[in-house]
Amino acid sequence: MSLEPKVSEEMLGAFVDGQLDGAEWASVAQAVEGDAWLREEVCRMRALKEKVRHAYAVIPPAGRPRSRRRMPGWLALVASSLVFAVAGWFGHAALNRPPALDAASAYALSGDWHSLRSDWGSLKEGKVLVHVSSAGREALSSALDEVEDLLRDAAANGRPIELEIVANGPGLDLFRAGDAALAARLAAIRREHPGVSFVACGQTIERRRAAGQAVELVAGTKVATSALHEVVERLRAGWIYVRA
Amino acid sequence: MAMGIEVLFGRDPALRREIEGSRDMLCRMAYAWCHDRALADDLAQAAVEKGLRACAQLRDPARLRAWLLQILANCLRDHLREARDFVDIEAIEESVAADGATPEESRVDAELVARVRSAVAGLPLAQRQVVTLVDLEEMSYTEAAEALGIPIGTVMSRLCRARRALRDALEPVAKDALGMRLRSVK
Repeated sequence: MSLEPKVSEEMLGAFVDGQLDGAEWASVAQAVEGDAWLREEVCRMRALKEKVRHAYAVIPPAGRPRSRRRMPGWLALVASSLVFAVAGWFGHAALNRPPALDAASAYALSGDWHSLRSDWGSLKEGKVLVHVSSAGREALSSALDEVEDLLRDAAANGRPIELEIVANGPGLDLFRAGDAALAARLAAIRREHPGVSFVACGQTIERRRAAGQAVELVAGTKVATSALHEVVERLRAGWIYVRA
Repeated sequence: MAMGIEVLFGRDPALRREIEGSRDMLCRMAYAWCHDRALADDLAQAAVEKGLRACAQLRDPARLRAWLLQILANCLRDHLREARDFVDIEAIEESVAADGATPEESRVDAELVARVRSAVAGLPLAQRQVVTLVDLEEMSYTEAAEALGIPIGTVMSRLCRARRALRDALEPVAKDALGMRLRSVK
């Protein structure tokens, strides 16, 4: 009637990892033998080990040489999951092959502002997708600083540029009509640079509405099916991806 | 500076070659820890350089892998200590989770890889390191303990917590199914 498992989770893990010596191994093996639930647990643990191993069998290709300021790992993860999602959606995924990446997608893997700034001169593309997904006034306004810098630089050098800011999750606050200061900056950017567009994630909007929040966006904001879709499409079209 | 030169160039060319040949292994492990390929390259490079400089201190060549991974873990720790730009992890996780739940979510391999990586990335670093050392590099608990400078008991408990969290993240369907079964029994 006891709910205590016969073998602790740690011991079962050690069994699966091949870390038990003769006597311990024998006693766990015997318990597993006689217990369907334990057998299932062992299978699950093995499957999990296999999944983890498989997830890192192929790691993203080495990109350009690193710039000094590092892109935080979490952002890179998001970027790489996006690229993996590209491969998945469009059926390029193959079991043991990394997804096919063109130069711009590879750039996206480590696209942060600092590297973009240092690479901007050597990049041929003039199409830049800025992805904003975290909130906070400071983050949003520094993202706009970067956008303005880039646009000014392009204008000063007579370089054609198309720039799209796509916002999702908490980052959708960027386009909130209620924030007068941000809205004024966005309006000014659009006035001065016709090649700029703002795109909001349709799913984030839906989620916010479902949670009972009013969603009002600054004038001229387009709504995409989802930010992920938008990013994927732009990547496929060779845009440079920057995570703001 | 004869001593310095000897240390720099190493006494044992085979050991040097082996250290240099460990770069891919180190890079993969660093990537599993930080999920940033460029940073992983940097960390692996730093670990190889430190390994080459300090290989005279390695008494038992059989421990080379654990020793190098220990250096790698130290390099990551130093990097994190230096890094001043903290990231709002919660916001990003939310955005990953939100993006992952699109109706088009496909079950193909690339998607699974992304999900597993995302789940691994969601673990606290200490757990992430243990589970990747044991599962990717198939290190023994003793080696993992040595590489991370923690007792074996801690390796086991962190591993246990890490796997529980990974399963929670990766097997929601299985959990639902179990819940259904329990309810239907009642």
